[in-house]
Amino acid sequence: MPKLHLQSRDILWGALVCALALLPLIPGLIGNSFRAHVIILVLLYASMAQSWNIVSGYAGQTSFGHSVFFGIGAYGAGMAVVTYGLTPWPGFLAGSVMAALVAVLISWPCFRLSGHYFAIATFAIVEIFNRLFMVWDWVGGALGLDYPILPDGWVNFVWSETKVGFFYGALALFVLIFGIVRYIETHRLGYYLRAVREGQETAESLGVNSTAVKLAAMAFSAFLAALCGGFFVQYNYRVDPPMVMSLDVSMRFVLITILGGVGNFWGPLLGAMILIPLQEYSRAYLTILGSGVDLVIFGLIIMLMMIKQPKGIMGFIEAWQARSRERAAAKEGV
Amino acid sequence: MKSRKLIAVFSVFVMALALWVPNAPAADKVLKIGVIFPLTGPVATAGQRCVAAVETAAEVINNAHPEFNVPLAAQEGILGGTKIQLVVADHQGKPDVGKSEAERLFNQEGVWAIIGSYNSAVTKPASAVAERMKRIFLSGCSSSAALTERGFNYFFRFAPTDKTESHEFVEYIQWLNQNQNAGIKTIGLIYENTEFGKHAADEGKAAAKDAGFEVVADVPFNPGATNLNSEVQTLKAKNPDAVFGACLGGDYTLWVRTMKQMNWLPKAALNYCTGYQDPKIAQQLGPDGDFFMGGTGYSPEIGAKYMPDVAAVEKIYSAKVGGVPFDSDAIQEAVALLVLAQAIEKAGALDVEKVAQILRSETFDSPLSLGGKVAFGPGGQNMKATSIITQLHGGKYMPVYPESYAEMAATVPMTPWDKR
Amino acid sequence: MDTFAQVVLDGLLTGMLYALVAAGLSLIWGVMDIIHFAHGEFLMVAMYLSFWLGFLAGVDPIVSWIASGVFLFLLGALAYRLVISRCIGKSAMPPLLATFGLSLFLKNLCMNRFSPNFRILQDTLLQGKTFMIGGVVVGLPQLATGIFSLVMLGALFYLIKKTRLGWAIQATAMDREAAELMGIHTDRIYLLVFGLGGACVGIAGGLMTSYLAVHPEVGSLFGLIAFLIVALGGFGSIHGALAAALIIGLVEALAGFYIAPVFKYVAVFAIYLVVVMVRPRGLFGW
Repeated sequence: MPKLHLQSRDILWGALVCALALLPLIPGLIGNSFRAHVIILVLLYASMAQSWNIVSGYAGQTSFGHSVFFGIGAYGAGMAVVTYGLTPWPGFLAGSVMAALVAVLISWPCFRLSGHYFAIATFAIVEIFNRLFMVWDWVGGALGLDYPILPDGWVNFVWSETKVGFFYGALALFVLIFGIVRYIETHRLGYYLRAVREGQETAESLGVNSTAVKLAAMAFSAFLAALCGGFFVQYNYRVDPPMVMSLDVSMRFVLITILGGVGNFWGPLLGAMILIPLQEYSRAYLTILGSGVDLVIFGLIIMLMMIKQPKGIMGFIEAWQARSRERAAAKEGV
Repeated sequence: MKSRKLIAVFSVFVMALALWVPNAPAADKVLKIGVIFPLTGPVATAGQRCVAAVETAAEVINNAHPEFNVPLAAQEGILGGTKIQLVVADHQGKPDVGKSEAERLFNQEGVWAIIGSYNSAVTKPASAVAERMKRIFLSGCSSSAALTERGFNYFFRFAPTDKTESHEFVEYIQWLNQNQNAGIKTIGLIYENTEFGKHAADEGKAAAKDAGFEVVADVPFNPGATNLNSEVQTLKAKNPDAVFGACLGGDYTLWVRTMKQMNWLPKAALNYCTGYQDPKIAQQLGPDGDFFMGGTGYSPEIGAKYMPDVAAVEKIYSAKVGGVPFDSDAIQEAVALLVLAQAIEKAGALDVEKVAQILRSETFDSPLSLGGKVAFGPGGQNMKATSIITQLHGGKYMPVYPESYAEMAATVPMTPWDKR
Repeated sequence: MDTFAQVVLDGLLTGMLYALVAAGLSLIWGVMDIIHFAHGEFLMVAMYLSFWLGFLAGVDPIVSWIASGVFLFLLGALAYRLVISRCIGKSAMPPLLATFGLSLFLKNLCMNRFSPNFRILQDTLLQGKTFMIGGVVVGLPQLATGIFSLVMLGALFYLIKKTRLGWAIQATAMDREAAELMGIHTDRIYLLVFGLGGACVGIAGGLMTSYLAVHPEVGSLFGLIAFLIVALGGFGSIHGALAAALIIGLVEALAGFYIAPVFKYVAVFAIYLVVVMVRPRGLFGW
């Protein structure tokens, strides 16, 4: 029986979730506004990044292939609604299970590769999936799948009058994924994952089956990424391969986590909180400066970040804490 | 513990930042219209031209231009002085971005209607946003026939669809066989494998098969290709008599040049109005671009003859886009704003239901449209949309079909590369 | 038979072009062990430079590759000095993301400055010139690029294997700290390698302008294929890169013609996966 360790971190976590859950009660905050859109995207992208974090942060296998799982999840929901005329719910489940299966099947051979060879292999897999989905008529091919106009509500998981439904959907996803990662982090799988990251041979010598551990992490990660994909397609009423299954999308998983702090529980949330508002507001309000200015600034910020603090925002925070601790120690010394 | 608190404080701070939105105060007597096009990404050129076209139309409406023979040009603004203010947004060619930008324009910027968004793949979700909110969405040139088969009430599209164009192509080939003894029996398709290309090709295939032509080559390719060797090689091996093409920008030049290199040409090459009708591309290809044909809704040559009032307006547009004339896509976006303004003027008030009703039921004068009229059928398709087939001769788009517009008989078969 | 010969020839020539683009990346990757995401964008910058030289000053790409090579050497060195040198270290991720940021920056800056228009030089010396061998058409620009590619890879190979500088580069690639102890200024070597990598892609871009259109997105696919080639050949192996490039060119052409054009890149990416499953360190990796 694992004992329940209630740490201050969990309390903070609980408080954050409660605060978020109460947000729609503030009149005019969510409604159908652009800021609601930004908040939903922050929650969604934080969840996506966290799912990536399981494999690439905790287990140290840098994957550029997560858009494949995201895309399979998106197609699961999209096909349930568009092709079969059902509600998206069975699609969420089917897509996620499928994604986990595919993840295990393609990662098994790939885990033999190390470092950059693994990274490039994941690139190649994304490109292959993208191009196959582009010509595969059963999933809509290059034409994509477009949602008909459906009544609002939880059954169809679409809302148009207000974004409160999507907000709670995103929040549920966020709580689920962060909760699972929090659980993994403090339980056996989490320790195994970190052991594998720090040194595969050492981990093996301690009796950890590193392949099984990595595969389990990949399956979890893909399952959760696919759920995010399902949400994404519901939110956008449309799915086609470039939207969900491309290197572009894969890079979002990576960038957000790295920007926030890789291998860290809060990293994905911090990264999404910086990156998504930056992306959305700069696109919305900087177009007057001519095309592409937002992405120019974005590129500069990424470069600066990597120069100043490669550990991401968590790195800044840790450095700051270390300094204040030193100061406190110095004061005591006096 | 202190560290947790820091994280909490930091999170709250950033969230607060995220919630801060500058809300521009709306000035009196201004009607905001949203304009969503791809201003970055692979088709940004086309998107920027579309924006310039809408801006041109707004200038014509907002300022007194009695010298233009265009509705609403003589007066200042609409509804007795209300000026049109455009709010421009970039969808980067991505449907998800287009959808959220449409929402932002309606909810945040308070635009009254939206014009957009070039890529049919983006127009679909973006116009679904408008439809759900019961707001008007106008699309100048998105060409997917599916857009107007959705039964939307607030969606209107001005350009002819790929379906219409496909039928026109096939009809023209039959006409060529009869009148110019072209002997075209087989058809090949080359298209970029995107929503646009695939859709055009499907329509082309269906139309060709219905008319009894044999489709011998079906060649999709990935846009932004490093080379088109295999694609052209495949065409050459199957040797279709006529080729329907849907290639954009750089891919179009690459396609033409690769065919030149492989020394192969079909008897006739008909293009959906894209790479072919981009005046810059025709200029860049020089003589290599000649004898290709395609659907065209506007070119300066056609304009001079059938749309005499365009030239004056075109000057405003050309100044914005570095000297190029209107193209068939961009001009439709200008038409969209002009027709919307006329409908509002007729309704006499900014009442969405009333304006939509007028758009659905009335016929509008449109000197910027080939045919001069705009009227919408069910689903919002412009029933008066006309496109004629032109052939490039010395960089000029010469109308060759239908006969009523034809300036010359087309050179069919195309002059082979070694005889040019 | 002619068709088959034509397809194979096209594939080989395309492969040589890819080799030219990938050569610089192979060097950077082999020595510094970083994924250089902005490589495709460097190519694009070189193409723009060569285009503008041709368009404004009438310099043919057959000459202007020298200018774009030099310019890209400087750009590479600058990028190393300002960005890469400050984040290179233990982990592979910071330089990877920094170069990704650099690629976003360059791509969109060019988009903003030069507009997203496609630009192509007209009437270059080589453009459109072809000759026939039997029933096979050989494009002069492709052939020139191919020959150039072989010459440049040869020169690069010579530089690495036979010169003192090359030995210093090899030593740095093997063990930076040991090389430092031996009195090699490894930072300067890195600078040079990044510059050389830039110069290679600069030369490639300069030449390609004689028959390919330039636009801000032109580098993306070339960059991706260059990654694949370098990894397939084995990091740091120049002859491996050449072999891999030829294989990829051939696979692309054969699959494109005999399976379907739309599957040509699927085949290319699949061949990479198959090869690394058998040889996890690429064809010539160690």
